[in-house]
Amino acid sequence: MSAEIELVGTFADEEGCVHGVEVLKRAGIAYRVFAPIPSEHLLHAIGRGLSPVRAIVLIGAITGVLTGVAITVGTSWEWNLIVGGKPVVSWPPFIIIMFELMILFGGLSAALSFFFFARMPQLDPIAGYSERFSADRFGIAVECDEADSARIEAMMREAGAEEIAHEDPRTVPVAH
Amino acid sequence: MASQPQTSRRPIAPQIVPGAEGIRTSIPIIVVCAILTLIGVAGFVAGIMTETEPHAWEAFLVNFLFFFSVAQGGLAISASFYLTQARWGGPGAYRLAESFYVFLPVAFVLFWVLFFGRAELWPWVTKPVAKNPTWLNTPFFFAREGFALLAMVALDLWFVRVSQRVDVRQWALSNDNITMPPDAIRRLAPAVAIVYAVVMSLVAFDLIMSLAPAWKSTLFGAFFFAGAFWSGIVAMALTAVVLRGRLPSGNLFTRDSIMHDLGKFTFAFSVFWAYTLFAQYIVIWYGDIPNETFFLVVRGAIIGGYTGFTPWRIPTWTVPVLVWVIPFCFLMGVKPKKTPAILGTVALLGLVGMWIERYVLVVPSLSPYRIPFNWIEAAVTLGFLGIFGLCAIPGLKLTIAAATAPQVLEAAEE
Repeated sequence: MSAEIELVGTFADEEGCVHGVEVLKRAGIAYRVFAPIPSEHLLHAIGRGLSPVRAIVLIGAITGVLTGVAITVGTSWEWNLIVGGKPVVSWPPFIIIMFELMILFGGLSAALSFFFFARMPQLDPIAGYSERFSADRFGIAVECDEADSARIEAMMREAGAEEIAHEDPRTVPVAH
Repeated sequence: MASQPQTSRRPIAPQIVPGAEGIRTSIPIIVVCAILTLIGVAGFVAGIMTETEPHAWEAFLVNFLFFFSVAQGGLAISASFYLTQARWGGPGAYRLAESFYVFLPVAFVLFWVLFFGRAELWPWVTKPVAKNPTWLNTPFFFAREGFALLAMVALDLWFVRVSQRVDVRQWALSNDNITMPPDAIRRLAPAVAIVYAVVMSLVAFDLIMSLAPAWKSTLFGAFFFAGAFWSGIVAMALTAVVLRGRLPSGNLFTRDSIMHDLGKFTFAFSVFWAYTLFAQYIVIWYGDIPNETFFLVVRGAIIGGYTGFTPWRIPTWTVPVLVWVIPFCFLMGVKPKKTPAILGTVALLGLVGMWIERYVLVVPSLSPYRIPFNWIEAAVTLGFLGIFGLCAIPGLKLTIAAATAPQVLEAAEE
């Protein structure tokens, strides 16, 4: 059995990285992409659709509104006091509570679901990661057999990789 | 090059965005607008001559406020585009926002017609308000309004002139995100925005709020100009949707991104309008002080408790439905925003909603117990529509030119 090897290609721009992803995808090779910026083109290239965070936020926001209704209307019914000549259940001020809870629940579900779907916090560095991928470079990491490495390296170079590093996937990268 | 004799000719920048030369004016549109204008004038005169009630004056004030808002809101939108260095639509977005600028000087002239109806409209003209006679009296009222409107319209026209300059259009066309707009427009845009806020607040306080001199709301000015801003946006969206199918294929308005952006604008500022409305409403509702609540009670806007029957309840509640509920529900997603039929319908309903809003702000102060709408008011409204249509022609020609500029059509072919 030939040795496993980790190829890490570095790309200077989004376009090259997208191209690299497309080439690898066509060849049916598994890859991992690092990007310093959120890039719609990359998301599109790796076949990710819209983020599930959107749906979670909507659900959170609706839950917030319903909580607002429950708190305001519920407590008013419970006490059933007429205050300042207003009806017991008087909607105009309740709208504010409903609105604020909608924002609170929606915002919290956005933050939490973002962390969840981004698999954060990520304490151990991911294989192939380099500090430059958080600064000014895009990267594609491919785990492959030593035998295949020349072919895949050529594909990445073709797509516009600046440099391609060979790493041993068994050595855990040092946390930067 | 240096050896060539210097000529007095200034270097001509490449004409990258064509002017309106060569765009045919549609004769049927002019004829229709002219007929509408004549209907309006006839209705207005007939109203003054034959009716004892001030229908003609009410309609004149409502329509003046509405159409002036649409045109002036467009200018404020254009100014805010420069302030935010917006280049999502190139020069086309600026021309679209400024489409109705010719109506502004016309509106200034129309404003003076109100002088002759002052006794019919504003109660303090015949019965001075004891509390503030120095503010609400005929000479000072028309002097300050006249001066404020003149200053704003003059600034607007100057702004539009600079905005149409070649270097400014070139800037709007470039994709270089770091370049600031040319100096002249950079200095004018904040002035237009500030003068807009100040003068439109004054217009709201004087022309609308003083119809019921006992009523005060500090936020009313902001509410009025937020509405004017939004009516400018929906007018833009509607214009874009109407032009989209009529211009050569590949024009600016066939781009999904433009429809999406206009949809986002319509959505966002509808929410802002609702916010300013609610911010006033909740304070008045909660305080429950008679000389604040009567304004809402007359219009049937009070929620909860017995307020008695008023026919105004229906138009009053139609306004937030048309201006907020419908845009909010129908334009929430991306797809509806990009669907011209939906965006256009929402925009049209929004304009109707804004017209009703102006009507509900003005008329119940004069006719609290019944809705006085009759054929005279309809005629005056049509007349204003005609004048507005005639005034829109030069601005729309420039919009069409920018939306069908060669590089716009080329970009579509790529």
